[in-house]
Amino acid sequence: MIDHPDSNSAEVLAQMRVSRRDFLKFCTLMAGTLALPASMVPKIAYALETAKRPPVVWLEYQDCAGCTESFLRANQPTAAELVLDILSVNYHETIMAPSGKRADKSLEDTVREGGYLVVVEGAIPTKDDGVYCCVGGRTALDLLQEIAGHATAVITVGACAFYGGWPATTPNPTEAKGVKDVIFGVPIINLPGCPMNVDNFTATLVHYLTFGKLPATDDLGRPLFAYGRRIHDNCERRGHFDAGEFVKEWGDEGHRKGWCLYQMGCKGPVAFHNCPTIRWNQGTSWPVAAGHGCIACASPGFWETGAYETTPIFDATPPTAFPGVMLNGEAVPLVSAGVGVAVGVAAGVIGTLAVEKLTKKQEE
Amino acid sequence: MAEKIYIDPITRIEGHLRIEAQIDDGVVTDAWSSSTMWRGLEIIVKGRDPRDVWLMAQRICGV
Repeated sequence: MIDHPDSNSAEVLAQMRVSRRDFLKFCTLMAGTLALPASMVPKIAYALETAKRPPVVWLEYQDCAGCTESFLRANQPTAAELVLDILSVNYHETIMAPSGKRADKSLEDTVREGGYLVVVEGAIPTKDDGVYCCVGGRTALDLLQEIAGHATAVITVGACAFYGGWPATTPNPTEAKGVKDVIFGVPIINLPGCPMNVDNFTATLVHYLTFGKLPATDDLGRPLFAYGRRIHDNCERRGHFDAGEFVKEWGDEGHRKGWCLYQMGCKGPVAFHNCPTIRWNQGTSWPVAAGHGCIACASPGFWETGAYETTPIFDATPPTAFPGVMLNGEAVPLVSAGVGVAVGVAAGVIGTLAVEKLTKKQEE
Repeated sequence: MAEKIYIDPITRIEGHLRIEAQIDDGVVTDAWSSSTMWRGLEIIVKGRDPRDVWLMAQRICGV
């Protein structure tokens, strides 16, 4: 981390020897992640080069530091080059050098000066006046209310800071809560996931630096650019779902062939995240590609449903959006009378499965 | 001269740690460590399906 709070981002990038080409590549990637047109790339580049580095305090409460790990593994360019240095991270327990009172001082100075962003990782226990998480002799609840109360905005990272996460799972022994349930009157944006995906975190910050405000969110406070699309709709195994090809048992033929994991408990049809498109570990893979179903880690309360339980599909991707299926050279509308129930079994069914069912129906 | 010092938070670790030390004439004569955060996973996983517990247990520490 470079310690020069007054320098702007361009100076930081020059010091870190980030090439112009890499920098513009990063700006293009951010425009893509934010679903902005390519014409916005110069604006993003300009903003990142000229913006004053916003001070950030990163607070960890009932966490596992998994989101910190995700944050530190940012690339394109690396976290050290961009995120950590475009941001002025004044307080982050896992990575900062000072301990004890000297750490507290960094925090106090930042809070006194104001105009900072707060990132929260981990849930906040509220039982017994919040004694289940203390830092420097003060409870997480007390600290957060003071620090976030003076912040420009709060970004929650991970499922725990979003709604409580696994510490809040039944029976929730510490009455853990998410930030939105204990902090009021400050803009909060949630980047859930277990852990959060650093590309979404970076894109949120880039949006903030470019437009001076947080990106548009859904009713759960999650940015639409990252949580606006259903996993199922962008899944590379979707074709197998539509064709009725399912993994029935771990290691079976279907599993070896990369078939759909829905019957093994995949929550893709009810989960909203850009996992399938931005992926993890520098775009290498994501859980479904690795052979395990989605556990809906960006949805509130996801731990309450077994990862192995098949999820009911309430609002299927509309089958009517698919083109009609050709049968014996004749176009057949997919949702014809009486087929709706059969279609409901595997919503959005097209291809061979649909044709089989339609054929059976016609034979009856 | 006897004094008691404390260091909290201890940084560059995962989780929350507090160290207190008793110092007599410049020598540490006694010390205490406290883990100042508890989530209760031991209680949460009790009776839970093992096909879920592995997912939870792997998230005890993310480092």
